[in-house]
Amino acid sequence: MRALEAIRRANRPGPPEHSIRLRAACLLTVVAAIAACASMGELSGTTAFGAIGLVALGMAFSYRTRHRPPGWVKIVVAGGAIAASAWFVHAVSSPASNITSVEDPLTVLLVSVLVVHSFHVPSRRDLMFSLAASAGLMAVAGAQAIELTFGFYVVAWAGLSIWGMIEMWASASGGGRLAAPRLGMALAAVIAAAAAVFLVLPAPTVAAKLNLLSRAGDGGSIGLAGALAGDGGSPSQLSRPGTPSGATRVGGYLGFASSLNTALRGKLGNTVVMLVRTQRPSYWVGETFNTWSGESWTATGSATHVLREQSPFILPPPDGSSPLGQADLQTFYVVNSTANLVFHAQSASQLWFPTSKVYYSEDGTIVSPIGLGEGAVYSVESQVTTPTPGQLRAARGEGQLAAAVEQSSLQLPHAYPRVEALAKSITAGDTTNYDRVESLIAWIGAHTHYSTDIPPLPPGADTVDEFLFGNRVGFCEQISTSLAVMLRSIGIPTREVVGYVPGPYNPITDLYEVRANDAHAWVQVWFPGFGWQNFDPTAVVPLANPAPGAAALDDIGHALARIPVLPVAITLLGLALAAALVHRRRSRPPTWAERIALSAERAGRRAGRPRRPHETFGEYAATLDAFTGSGSEAWRQLAVPVEASVYGGHEPSPDAQRQMVSRARRLRMGVHRSRDEDLSRDEDRDPSLHPVA
Amino acid sequence: MKRLARPSRAAGPVVGSGAILGIWWLVAHNGGSGWVQALGDVVFGTLFIGIFGPSVVLTCAKVQVTRSPVDCIAGTPADIRIAASTRLRICARGPFEGEAFVGPVGPRRPPEDRVLLLPECRGIHDSVMLDIATASPFALQWWTRRVVLPLPSTLYVAPRSGLPESLPLRAHEDTGATNDWVQTDLGQPRGARPYRSGDSRRQVHWRATAHAGELMVRELERPSAEPITFTVVLPHDPHEAERVAERALGTIARLLERGATVLLATVESSGPVIAGVADRRTAGRRLARAVASADAAYP
Repeated sequence: MRALEAIRRANRPGPPEHSIRLRAACLLTVVAAIAACASMGELSGTTAFGAIGLVALGMAFSYRTRHRPPGWVKIVVAGGAIAASAWFVHAVSSPASNITSVEDPLTVLLVSVLVVHSFHVPSRRDLMFSLAASAGLMAVAGAQAIELTFGFYVVAWAGLSIWGMIEMWASASGGGRLAAPRLGMALAAVIAAAAAVFLVLPAPTVAAKLNLLSRAGDGGSIGLAGALAGDGGSPSQLSRPGTPSGATRVGGYLGFASSLNTALRGKLGNTVVMLVRTQRPSYWVGETFNTWSGESWTATGSATHVLREQSPFILPPPDGSSPLGQADLQTFYVVNSTANLVFHAQSASQLWFPTSKVYYSEDGTIVSPIGLGEGAVYSVESQVTTPTPGQLRAARGEGQLAAAVEQSSLQLPHAYPRVEALAKSITAGDTTNYDRVESLIAWIGAHTHYSTDIPPLPPGADTVDEFLFGNRVGFCEQISTSLAVMLRSIGIPTREVVGYVPGPYNPITDLYEVRANDAHAWVQVWFPGFGWQNFDPTAVVPLANPAPGAAALDDIGHALARIPVLPVAITLLGLALAAALVHRRRSRPPTWAERIALSAERAGRRAGRPRRPHETFGEYAATLDAFTGSGSEAWRQLAVPVEASVYGGHEPSPDAQRQMVSRARRLRMGVHRSRDEDLSRDEDRDPSLHPVA
Repeated sequence: MKRLARPSRAAGPVVGSGAILGIWWLVAHNGGSGWVQALGDVVFGTLFIGIFGPSVVLTCAKVQVTRSPVDCIAGTPADIRIAASTRLRICARGPFEGEAFVGPVGPRRPPEDRVLLLPECRGIHDSVMLDIATASPFALQWWTRRVVLPLPSTLYVAPRSGLPESLPLRAHEDTGATNDWVQTDLGQPRGARPYRSGDSRRQVHWRATAHAGELMVRELERPSAEPITFTVVLPHDPHEAERVAERALGTIARLLERGATVLLATVESSGPVIAGVADRRTAGRRLARAVASADAAYP
């Protein structure tokens, strides 16, 4: 019975809310949330405009009927909410839908509830529900947001919500309004609390297959089945091997093709190619190569298969992969056209892709049948092994590499006696493959230099010989190839990989921003039991998953360091002075008597006779009259009513006040005597101005 | 006296906010969306400040009674002025009742508000106990703090004026009619003397007062009517004592209306007091100060 009574009490209608400003704030908050959803493509423009119009209409109706809401409205609202919920359940539980398609129906459900509810918001509590529901709508929109521009909607919604709550306080307290300093403090406290939580909370992770998206973008179809595309600035144009004059590949990288010419380096742009949501940063593998010709890498011996399924595609484990990997989910949002390689972390095992087929090779390369243009989205689950150096040192022969694969991983086009001798001398003291790899990487790091600004190698020249025994300056393809050849020369299975490095992490969007110049080449070394492991001789700094707080602080630190100190300090000082002046002017307007006194003092200062601390205004006015030398007592005549007002409380009429103020102003403007003349006259009269002997 | 701020009916907002944030965090954390988490942080900041901010506002709030009357009557609102540094809801506690909002409603409005406090019973008060509350800035959670504010002047709460006791019948000297009126102006005027406590205001000689510069009263040839000594014995039961005080005030008021000189005998906290009461206000103050005196010995 107690619970029943509590429910009854909770359902008791609240007092009618009369504040129009509160209703306006709630309406605008809801509008901002609906607009945010529409901007994310979760609502069509027509639906959004219709919903906004209906919510405005409902709010107006609620205001008109706030004293006595019609009984039928509540029934209609309840019925509408139930119908919307039923539709939502039907939409997400139909066989054609899956869990990834919940968000759009959820958006429609929330908007529907907001629309029907807006017709029955007579009290403050009901308006608070509208605010809360708009928060849910913003969450749904935020789940789709990958761009920083969504921040405009967040700021607008948060500002309007806070305005609504401030109006709520004004209404609840009988008109209490926050003064500007208190409002500023409240906002600062909100921001500080939000920032504190933001810094403390770990980065959000991709859920276990709850929200894995796949969407075809503007890529278009590719004419040749299983072919690589992405040339000529178009995601669907077939790719060609790089040429010295042909830096035409999307993003400028020449590696995403059937062969990797290590003598060439394209000019990479800075445009964002992809945004990646992932549980941990990785090298995004695009393609692997196993056959080295002395100048170029190609992939041979691994057959390409077509996989015809619906998402998720179950991918067979690539050759030499480890069964001990941990699942790692990634979602790739293609922002600008890129190659039709399906990038992924290490060994992909499942793929959510917006086509009915994909091509995959036994070496783990996955190729899309459509071009990957702007707007394309796909998700991958990879099996990632993250062994420690100790585990790699102790790696023994469980799970041997297939003979054909091992042979291709040790392939060399010709003997490299100098390379072999060099590699053996560097790794002479090492007992494990891992130590050998690390020693070679350390040697490369110590003895080579990175540069993209080098001329192409002459035709027929061996890249490794030129690099290791030439000037030892090169770019990632040459550095990684040199490592691969050195490892192969001492019998360690190695292959060349091209793809992207993770890119910078954005702590707000929780996405890695992969740019065109993040295209990279590195090597994979096979370890028994752990499969192919990435080694990047170009960047030997190990990667770590940054905490969002640390990344944000790092970004803030860099941003602060870039701020020019002097202009900012001058601007801040100017703003502070302006604020102080405004505050002083606003604190209390000077009375007419003060304005006259100020005029007199200003006139005196201009004439070189400032008012002294002990001087009464009458005395000072007499002095000023003496300054004019005309024998008039104009200042003195003004001083009499001023003193009568200040000390006697005798206030002249407003007209008289105005006249006196304007007269003082005219007198002030009339004091144009030269400073020297005035001073000399003053000194004659005032012995205190004479210097003491 | 200042007590710590405490939330009122906190379970709903706190549990609701916790549930919202928990679900939100779960969705953000497992959905992998940075914007949802960032939005959740903003929502958290807003809810956190909305729920706990009022406690800070309340702790920093400055409240004082700027004006209060000296006299008032139980059951009749006492008009006091309260100045507050921020908008507050005040609820009177103890012997007072009343609820109102005080504090500035805008940046340029004077922060002094008129508040009507209803004293329930007679007494003297140097302070008032108030529960001050606020939900500033976001009206999500009310916090309350009990404060005892000193009054600028002691407030005497007189008892309500109850039904008067029946006065003894007396025959008029001239007409012989019996009535309960009291004859006070006996004898012929002989002169004027300075006012003494207990003198009736009817005896004030205004011309002499104006001449002498101090309050003068007529002196009669014969002594004026014997003052009526009214002894008030308050029982220990507070309700009963209130009733007795009310009847006493009603009776004294009746006597004073009839021009009688009344000596009121009460027991105050300092001991028994017998003194004249010249008017109803004085009587009210005396009765406000009176304490239970079932076995008091009057001098």
